[in-house]
Amino acid sequence: MAVNTVDQAVISQGLIAGAREMGVKLVRSAYSPVVREANDCSAALLDRHGNVVAQAELIPMQLGPIGATFGPCAELFPTAELREGDFYINNDPFQGGQHLQDVFLFSPIFFDGILVGFGATVAHHLDLGGGAPGLNPDATDVHQEGIIFPPSKYNMAHDWNGGPLERLVRANIRVPDQTIGDFNAQFAANGIGAGRVQELCRRFGAEVVIEAMEELLAYSERRMRAAIRELPDGVYEGEDFLDDDGFGDQPLRIHARVEIKGDDVFVDYEGTCDQVKSNVNCPFASTVAAGLSCVKSVLTSPDIPFNEGSKRPIHVTAPYGSLLNPRRPAPVRARMLSAYRAFNAVMKALAPAAPEKVIAAGFDSTEVVVLSKLLPDGYSIYLEIFGGGYGASAHADGCDAVDSPLSNCSNVPIEAMDMEYSFFRVEEYGLIPDSGGGGRQRGGLGFQRRYLILDDDVTFATYSDRFRLAPEGLFGGNEGARAATRVHRDGEVIDLPSKASFELRKGDVLIAYTGGGAGYGEPAERAEADIARDLREGFVAASIGRADAAE
Amino acid sequence: MRVGVEVGGTFTDLVAIDGGRVKVAKVPSVPARPDDGAMAALVAGEIDLAGVDDLVHGSTVATNAILERKGAPVALLTTAGFRDVVFLQRHSRSRIYDLFYKKPEPVLARHDILEIDERIDAAGQVVRPLDEAATLTRLQAFFGDGGYQSVAICLLNGYAEPRHEEALARLVGEHFPDLTVTCSSDVTREFREYERTSTTALAAYVQPVIDSYLSRFEAGLSEQGFEGRFSVMQSNGGRLPVAGMSRNAITSLFSGPAAGVIGAARQAGLSGHGDLITLDMGGTSTDVCLVVDGKPNLAGETEVDGLPIRTPVLDIVTVGAGGGSICWVDDGGMLRVGPESAGADPGPACYGRGGDRPAVTDAHMVRGTVRAEAFLGGRMAVDKDKSTAVIKELSENFNMSVEDAADSAVRVAEANIVRAIQLVSTERGRDPRDYVLVPFGGAGPLHAARVAEELGIRTILVPPNAGVLSAYGLLASDYLRYETLTRRIALTEAAPDQVRTLFGELRQRAQAGFRALGIEADLRFTYNLDMRFVGQAFEIPVELNGESLAGLTAEGLLDLFNEAHHRVFAFGESGLHRAEIVSFRLGASAPPDVVPALNEGVAQAASRAETRIFDAGAWRDCLLLTRAAIAEGETIAGPALIEDETSTIFVPEGWTAEADARDNILIRGGD
Repeated sequence: MAVNTVDQAVISQGLIAGAREMGVKLVRSAYSPVVREANDCSAALLDRHGNVVAQAELIPMQLGPIGATFGPCAELFPTAELREGDFYINNDPFQGGQHLQDVFLFSPIFFDGILVGFGATVAHHLDLGGGAPGLNPDATDVHQEGIIFPPSKYNMAHDWNGGPLERLVRANIRVPDQTIGDFNAQFAANGIGAGRVQELCRRFGAEVVIEAMEELLAYSERRMRAAIRELPDGVYEGEDFLDDDGFGDQPLRIHARVEIKGDDVFVDYEGTCDQVKSNVNCPFASTVAAGLSCVKSVLTSPDIPFNEGSKRPIHVTAPYGSLLNPRRPAPVRARMLSAYRAFNAVMKALAPAAPEKVIAAGFDSTEVVVLSKLLPDGYSIYLEIFGGGYGASAHADGCDAVDSPLSNCSNVPIEAMDMEYSFFRVEEYGLIPDSGGGGRQRGGLGFQRRYLILDDDVTFATYSDRFRLAPEGLFGGNEGARAATRVHRDGEVIDLPSKASFELRKGDVLIAYTGGGAGYGEPAERAEADIARDLREGFVAASIGRADAAE
Repeated sequence: MRVGVEVGGTFTDLVAIDGGRVKVAKVPSVPARPDDGAMAALVAGEIDLAGVDDLVHGSTVATNAILERKGAPVALLTTAGFRDVVFLQRHSRSRIYDLFYKKPEPVLARHDILEIDERIDAAGQVVRPLDEAATLTRLQAFFGDGGYQSVAICLLNGYAEPRHEEALARLVGEHFPDLTVTCSSDVTREFREYERTSTTALAAYVQPVIDSYLSRFEAGLSEQGFEGRFSVMQSNGGRLPVAGMSRNAITSLFSGPAAGVIGAARQAGLSGHGDLITLDMGGTSTDVCLVVDGKPNLAGETEVDGLPIRTPVLDIVTVGAGGGSICWVDDGGMLRVGPESAGADPGPACYGRGGDRPAVTDAHMVRGTVRAEAFLGGRMAVDKDKSTAVIKELSENFNMSVEDAADSAVRVAEANIVRAIQLVSTERGRDPRDYVLVPFGGAGPLHAARVAEELGIRTILVPPNAGVLSAYGLLASDYLRYETLTRRIALTEAAPDQVRTLFGELRQRAQAGFRALGIEADLRFTYNLDMRFVGQAFEIPVELNGESLAGLTAEGLLDLFNEAHHRVFAFGESGLHRAEIVSFRLGASAPPDVVPALNEGVAQAASRAETRIFDAGAWRDCLLLTRAAIAEGETIAGPALIEDETSTIFVPEGWTAEADARDNILIRGGD
């Protein structure tokens, strides 16, 4: 029996709204800054087989592969045996997870004893133990990065709320109140999603809701396929490079072969370099997410619900043992960096096929800045995630100073930091003129943050990229400016690498410069009015065309 | 006589009440000169201004100044190192897959911003002092040839300690007396620099526009002998005497929707209903708001054109579902309605002005729930055949009959409204079934019953003159202002005393403000705290009343907070030290000396007939009557269409309608 047109529309909107509400509430009730200010979390409603039906649009990176993270749990602990109060947990990068900090929780949704679906949330947890607070840039295997939750089934009443699992977690992490608070926010959001699905079941009947979920998957698949069909068939290739792995200085190659065939897209990352010993290895689920996000962003209008259906026409593969599909026990904490180059490689491959729909390379990196200090009453950890300038497109200059395409983190207000942290103060936060690559449309500008360190024994940890290799322009556009991190100490300037930790002391000034985006089209074709505006506003200095951010 | 004049985008509405006599008027707005539209409404209503004691005005002047970027040339003074805050914004995107994303455009350019060397910390201590002499030199160079009319001053942590902002304001006032000065500490005293800077800049941007608009309007009124009190409506649901707008113009944004909610709450209150969901459906959109015990819910923030404004406003959610909303099929074959609207021009296909896509009104024409002969009280000619043609085209996508397609489109539109209501109710932890639905606006009463059914609401109250209820809301509104303050206080045993002291200070500030505006009445106060668990970044409002404030204990406050947190987020925690207070909000209000009641007023002919409508999958016989035809004590059983001058009420099968002594129509059913 097909669900009628109106009920289908109403249930679909209800599911999408339910997932959105889960996400909003997860962000608003979370404790750790990386979730609450940076929105580094996601939420979804799944059907009873674990297919994502509707998602809260928070972080593209976490959205694609939620289903892949679910699979290994259901294989070990069949859904048929689930009871009220059970949940699945998984953060294992080698069994469908991403990096350890992203812990996925799945709560079954029952209606009249029938399993209808799952509420799923993932949050980036501030600290899950491991070799250093918040971020251990020196880790050489995954075990140094924190606690692993292999795909497992637990029960709320039995294992959480003071039960053995909660006690185990609490004992192995550095800021237990915040982290347990975030877990509770995840459970509560799952419960909210369950409530919304149960309301739909009451109104329409569980059978109809189950059927409508299936149709919503088919609907997204139809729209995705329609968009793919508009592209010319063919095989396209693209590549991009990471600066280095943080230990050596050799660029890491990421290569994509993209085949468009009818209404399917095949993305194969053959030709990508082997996995490395540092934390930039990208678990396969993250690789899939990067490829999917790129194809979806380029091809489709933003209002297509992104779910398992919209993924069906897109097939992503990567050689086992490569940077984009590493073997255990590779460290993976900074996997976003490689994921971005996987995104860039697909974008470059699609450029000749869809020149009006792609953008030039941007800063396209996640720059993580962690400042931590052990105070008398425990650790104080500051963690923030920065983007930079977007690449330009045929339609517009790249967006200035914004989080990169696979992520969508907000900044922490300066006034919130002034309230919260006693060991540093931000003294400047501004755009970097000239950091956008020139072009008919120019790249977006990067930005800088200047921290004055107010106490001794402050640990700085970071990972970033595009310190050595600038983002490339498209169709004649110039490259964007590179990023940099510097410490000013006693009149001396210390250049830090992109992946590093460093001990800071009172009076040090730490400056993070994020990179700009590259230009699109020949700079000579830029409209006079745009040039005049850039000069008037100081986005571009009169003396030079383009310089590196920190110079 | 008391007169409310509400200038909307399309129409300017007027309600005049003299004793028990109610007059209404509706004239086209004059977008370029909104006061001309207001004057035209006064003429149309045959109002003798010399006899008007109380005139309340709402307009879209402030909103339009921002949307059309027609505010005053504005400069911003801000802390050194942070000139780019308004461009950096919050570093996130509102559309995550949009590769061509652009941030909302601020109302000022980068060269309009001057950095001032100073710094105050979160505790209000001066980290870097302000050098006034050096600053003056820089101001002289900056303002020298600037052509600025207005200046916004927003410094880091100015919410905690405004003395540098005040010093700058003095400098500007002394040396550049022609500039209008707006300090963040006068507009909003809450933390988060981007939102506060945006609010202050927008306030400075619209202030001169509102000042000149209101003085021109006021002069026009006096010329015609007006000597009464002139007040202006605010987005928080209260009014202020016109003098109160001289520092507060930003509060006049979105006053129209707020006035509608106040009118609905007042009119429903007369029939004894206080827990309400208001539903204001017009041509392009629907506004909904939750009202608890007669008091509309407040939100701490709103936005215009993507730019945040941090000020207490009614918590109104808007969806693009109105009579003009377009019904369409997306590329996955799903039936969609809105948010695109045919607007007033070309309007729905039935207007015959070239609209060739089906709108919700066209669907109603096909179903018979809107009748061509009764459109806008019969004053506007519409063409049903044109509606049928465009809906037929839509129906061919689904292999269904024309009537089924029309019915489906209406139901999808209603589902969008249901979603909006869930946003202000279910998502805020409120069960809509506990509320009475109050529909108004031209199209609200037509959809209310089906919307109620979806939500499990059993009672609907339709006020009289539902099409001009906003103008009535102006007259029903209290004088109202809010005082806000961010002060972070841990929830310990000492907290209750600190809370009482701070609210005491805010009360004095409010009293002084009202005295300055010539309002000496006893003020009523509301007390709200924004609280969170330590470590959280978002606060939730916790309401205290005067009595609970007096006897407040730390445990009691924790209970109130835990309850509020549980209601919204479905989890909580225990332990005193785990919670904290972040911000304080005091509401101070004084009622107008008289609140007149609204009634049908216009004498409408009583008539009763039969018609046919297509509803819920079948053609049905349906009673058709005018509002005046409902006898006292009579119960009308659905299906029925009740028409009045400005709207049509639909009573579906299984529902009943009756008129009460307050001229409200109560519709019950949904079982």
